[in-house]
Amino acid sequence: MIDHAPGTPVLEMRGIRKVFPGVVALDGVDFDLRAGEVHVLLGENGAGKSTLMKILSGAYTKDAGDVFIDGAPVSIGSPRDAQSLGIATIYQELSLVPQLTVAENILLGHEPSRAGVIDRAAMRDAARRSLAEVGLDLDPDRRLDRLGIAEQQMVEVAKALFRRARVLVMDEPTSALTAREIDRLFDVIRRVTAAGVAVVYISHRMRELAEIGTRVTVLRDGRAVGTFPLPETSFDALIRLMANREVRDHFPRRRCKAGDELLRLEHVSGPSGAPRVDDVSLTVCRGEIVGLAGLLGAGRTELARLVFGADRPSSGRVVVSGRDVTPKTPRQAIAAGIGFLPEDRKRHGLVLMRSVGENIGLPSLARWSRAGVVSGRTEHETAERWVTELRIKTPTVAERVVRLSGGTQQKVVLARWLAADASLLVMDEPTRGVDVGAKVEIYELMNRLTDAGAGILMISSELPEVLGMSDRIYVMRHGRIQAELDAASASEERVLQAALGLAS
Amino acid sequence: METGRETAIRDNDLSRRGPTPAAVARRYRASQRLKAVAGLIGLCLLLWILTPHFLTVANALNVMEQTSINAIVAVGMTFVIISGGIDLSVGSLVALSGVVLASALKSGWPIPLALAAGLGVGAATGLLNGVVIAFGRLPPFIMTLGMMSVARGAALLVTDGRPISGFDAGFRSIATGRVFGVPAPIVLTLAIYAVAHFVLSRTRFGRYVYGIGGNEEATRLSGVNVRFHKTMVYVVSGVTSAIAAVLLTARLNTAQPIAGIMYELDAIAAVVIGGTSLSGGEGNLGGTLIGALTMGVLRNGLNLLGVSSFLQQLVIGMVIIVAVLVDVLVKEKRA
Amino acid sequence: MMMKIRRTQRPQRPQRKVFSEACARVALVINRRKISFAVLAAFAFFVVGCNRGGDTTTSTAKPRVALVLKTLNSPFFNDMQRGAQAAATRLNVDLVVQAAEREIDVERQMQIIENVLQTGVKALCLTPSGSREVVPAVVKANRANIPVVIVDTRLDKAAADEAGAKIVSFIGSDNYEGGRIAAKFIVDISRATNGKANVAVLEGIPGHETGDSRLRGFKDGIKDTPGVRIVASQPANWERDQGFNVFQNTLQAHPEIDTLFACNDMMALGAIEAIRAAGKTGSIRVVGFDAVEDARKAIKDGTMLGSVAQFPDEMGRLAVENAVHAIKGEPVEADAKVRIELITKENVK
Repeated sequence: MIDHAPGTPVLEMRGIRKVFPGVVALDGVDFDLRAGEVHVLLGENGAGKSTLMKILSGAYTKDAGDVFIDGAPVSIGSPRDAQSLGIATIYQELSLVPQLTVAENILLGHEPSRAGVIDRAAMRDAARRSLAEVGLDLDPDRRLDRLGIAEQQMVEVAKALFRRARVLVMDEPTSALTAREIDRLFDVIRRVTAAGVAVVYISHRMRELAEIGTRVTVLRDGRAVGTFPLPETSFDALIRLMANREVRDHFPRRRCKAGDELLRLEHVSGPSGAPRVDDVSLTVCRGEIVGLAGLLGAGRTELARLVFGADRPSSGRVVVSGRDVTPKTPRQAIAAGIGFLPEDRKRHGLVLMRSVGENIGLPSLARWSRAGVVSGRTEHETAERWVTELRIKTPTVAERVVRLSGGTQQKVVLARWLAADASLLVMDEPTRGVDVGAKVEIYELMNRLTDAGAGILMISSELPEVLGMSDRIYVMRHGRIQAELDAASASEERVLQAALGLAS
Repeated sequence: METGRETAIRDNDLSRRGPTPAAVARRYRASQRLKAVAGLIGLCLLLWILTPHFLTVANALNVMEQTSINAIVAVGMTFVIISGGIDLSVGSLVALSGVVLASALKSGWPIPLALAAGLGVGAATGLLNGVVIAFGRLPPFIMTLGMMSVARGAALLVTDGRPISGFDAGFRSIATGRVFGVPAPIVLTLAIYAVAHFVLSRTRFGRYVYGIGGNEEATRLSGVNVRFHKTMVYVVSGVTSAIAAVLLTARLNTAQPIAGIMYELDAIAAVVIGGTSLSGGEGNLGGTLIGALTMGVLRNGLNLLGVSSFLQQLVIGMVIIVAVLVDVLVKEKRA
Repeated sequence: MMMKIRRTQRPQRPQRKVFSEACARVALVINRRKISFAVLAAFAFFVVGCNRGGDTTTSTAKPRVALVLKTLNSPFFNDMQRGAQAAATRLNVDLVVQAAEREIDVERQMQIIENVLQTGVKALCLTPSGSREVVPAVVKANRANIPVVIVDTRLDKAAADEAGAKIVSFIGSDNYEGGRIAAKFIVDISRATNGKANVAVLEGIPGHETGDSRLRGFKDGIKDTPGVRIVASQPANWERDQGFNVFQNTLQAHPEIDTLFACNDMMALGAIEAIRAAGKTGSIRVVGFDAVEDARKAIKDGTMLGSVAQFPDEMGRLAVENAVHAIKGEPVEADAKVRIELITKENVK
């Protein structure tokens, strides 16, 4: 589809160096980008991908090195400079105004006006043209917050094109999208590259690389360790380069014998008002990892919240170890031995400004205190124990959680529930935003937990993860259980078919 | 080449050798306080150079005594702001608690009972604030803004707009007495700070206050009864306002329904100068005490220098802005 | 981002990292301190520059006298300050004038008194914001052997006696008499309407001696004239904007009102705007109190018929003179009355 012949690169970065106080973030990185290609940047968290892109977008200034656009040296001192050079960045968190319409967002700051009054018709036309470029048929007058995440993302691409962007940086664009939405986004990417736009694509998802990437550059510890043509290079080789070690098994699930029944849901529906979960019954046994698959919006997160008492079910029972506990509050769920690792750690899981120790201790303080006064020693010793046990990478338990990486933060949430003696863990996307190495560590921890007799209910949107880690899989669709599959005999196709309601 | 990852994992051992979290937290708080203290010391040095009347024992006691009322109101405000809220009703609560206390004294109630009535009114009003905010989900700004007017109106109604004055020496000694030569208000203030500091740093309630301010939903999902503890935060604020009212009434020998106007702003200023972030989850009482002292020293110093009241307001406003601005810039640099 | 990178850096030199972080922290503190000092120094120059007259004289032999007013944002107290300043210059006295931001802020006024007592003043002139509340501050001055001259608002006698507060002199006009003069004027002008007048009253802050005396004097003054009656009486707390609002509301409730007595000019001037807004200019007779400059203008324009004049500048002058007498140990007039006069179109200047 694209002419891969090397021409003059649209963008070239040479010997880029960036030093933060005491740390070399980028150590002489070379990077080039050709018109019409999708150049994937691969690397673990902290490898320097974001720093490199922030230098490109003008958020940071480099300490050394040169940037060339069409072979001519340029200096990028501010985001404004980057914009005028045709460089646009689409971040994980979208930078659109939810209260404005699609057209207003696309033309923000460039509104056509007549005598100071905005020309609405001209605005609509311009927006429609930009939307057509990305192949999107959307009403320009719709408010942005009425659109799904994927559509918003495409509006962001349209906005970049309207500003005549020639280099488009996309940082984890698919992390919040369903499989079908990803396909649509890829269509848009193919369309804009065909028109000559060059795309820098940052993702943790290996499978996407083959589908969309033209070339890949691997960063490790602030250096570029190599650039390779994409379909030809094997994943294992790339992962080896990223981590500089062999990851022999992505999903090191050790299956163990399922024990007694730990959790049973009986005809659970709710929450009242907008019932997203409809008559769900399922079981999780000790020593078992049960996967919950489905498309975004199938009601999986809602189900998890019901089990944990974050929302109240309108009907049905939650039975733990044979006892009806149907929790009305998280407190009751915790008392029944349930722990919850929410999908959005930063919003629902952690108090970012507080320390690792405080975050681990939060649900357990009642047990650790006498007359309302917390025993600092118990708190400290327990936190220390779990930090060591889970190999949480923090200098001390007093470090503020905000300073830790995504994988480490996830382990802090896990430690919290282990410290609170949870025997059933509900994990909503446990490895989202976690780098490859930490992912494997989390999988290992899940193994150890089930070995010790815990049960895990795992929601995941990554099919390989669901298939690789689960013992049994439930597939949800429209708030109902569509299928129950044995992981050993399940395949991606069967899970997908159930999720899409194509077959049973 | 040795990889960073494997060493990083081994590096975990660091945590075992590291200081206890309490120690680190203490050091961190100490470093934060140090900054505020540096500002205060700088201010004192400056005033010492500018006027010979500043650095005397009498004046030092003077400043601390004058600071005590704002400092006490700011204790409750610190709790509220750390929990991510705001309490605009404290000034009116000072007035309401004061006139209730004074009416009780005037109707011949024994002092302990009258004090209980004053503090009770503060606690009850705080409870009302808290319940509506935590259970009714009204934004704290709105609820306490309303309460600011409600409590003021109630104070005016109770007194028919007139001040109540003339109490016996026993009651007045709360403000005029001395403990080992130190004026009673200073002793009272320090005692309240000691207790409040213990509550905030060592008790479950204190932890939850930080948790709620830092991330309410995450705290709720950790099984914490967020609504209850949020309510209690406003009760604390109501009680400290009432304590301030006791002191104010004893000091002036009068309870006025129009007392305490703009106290909320002074208290908020003391809290933010002390390094507590208005977005919640962070802060400590040591900083607040220093913040309150900074405001007191500034006012006292400007009086000593004979600066006009117009210029005083301008200077105080600028100091608040600059103090918080410096704090923000320093934090940004560190992040 | 930085944090993540540090994480990979840490293993190699953990000790140095901790050390460098400590250094960075110290540097930040020092840095901030520098900023603070710079800012404070700037303030200092600013403040000193603005008050050179006040502070450079401390070393000279001039005795220092403090004048603590209720507020400085009122023409009445501005006039008082002017009169006091003129007397101070004439008598070779160093005068320090201080006031709270808000007239009703007694606690703040008390703090100011406490603070100025620290500065080695030889005498204190004071217009109490609260006649009972400032008594403890007066006691403090007594203890420091600093003579106290009270101006304009009397101390509450009971409270002062009980606390043993002593003053060397009170200077003020008889507000009760002023109220009577206003009443007599209204009785006189209501002859034009068959001796009848429906009067609205705007009161000052409830519980304040000044306002209460004026009101008492006014009520006593109309007592014997049955045609002149008060149909509404509301506090507007001395302020112009409240005078506007309160009188606007009063007019709604009592359209029959044809006369207004306001316990100070600020409220009267606010009310005049309310009258204008209601389109009733000329049909409501307004009498104020204090005869401030704006009120004099209004009298010339005819929107106000009269105002009872006090002479705050004279009060200021007398206060400083009496303070100087007290400092020198000379006899001081214990109760100095300043004249009161009704200002109307005939005698307005």
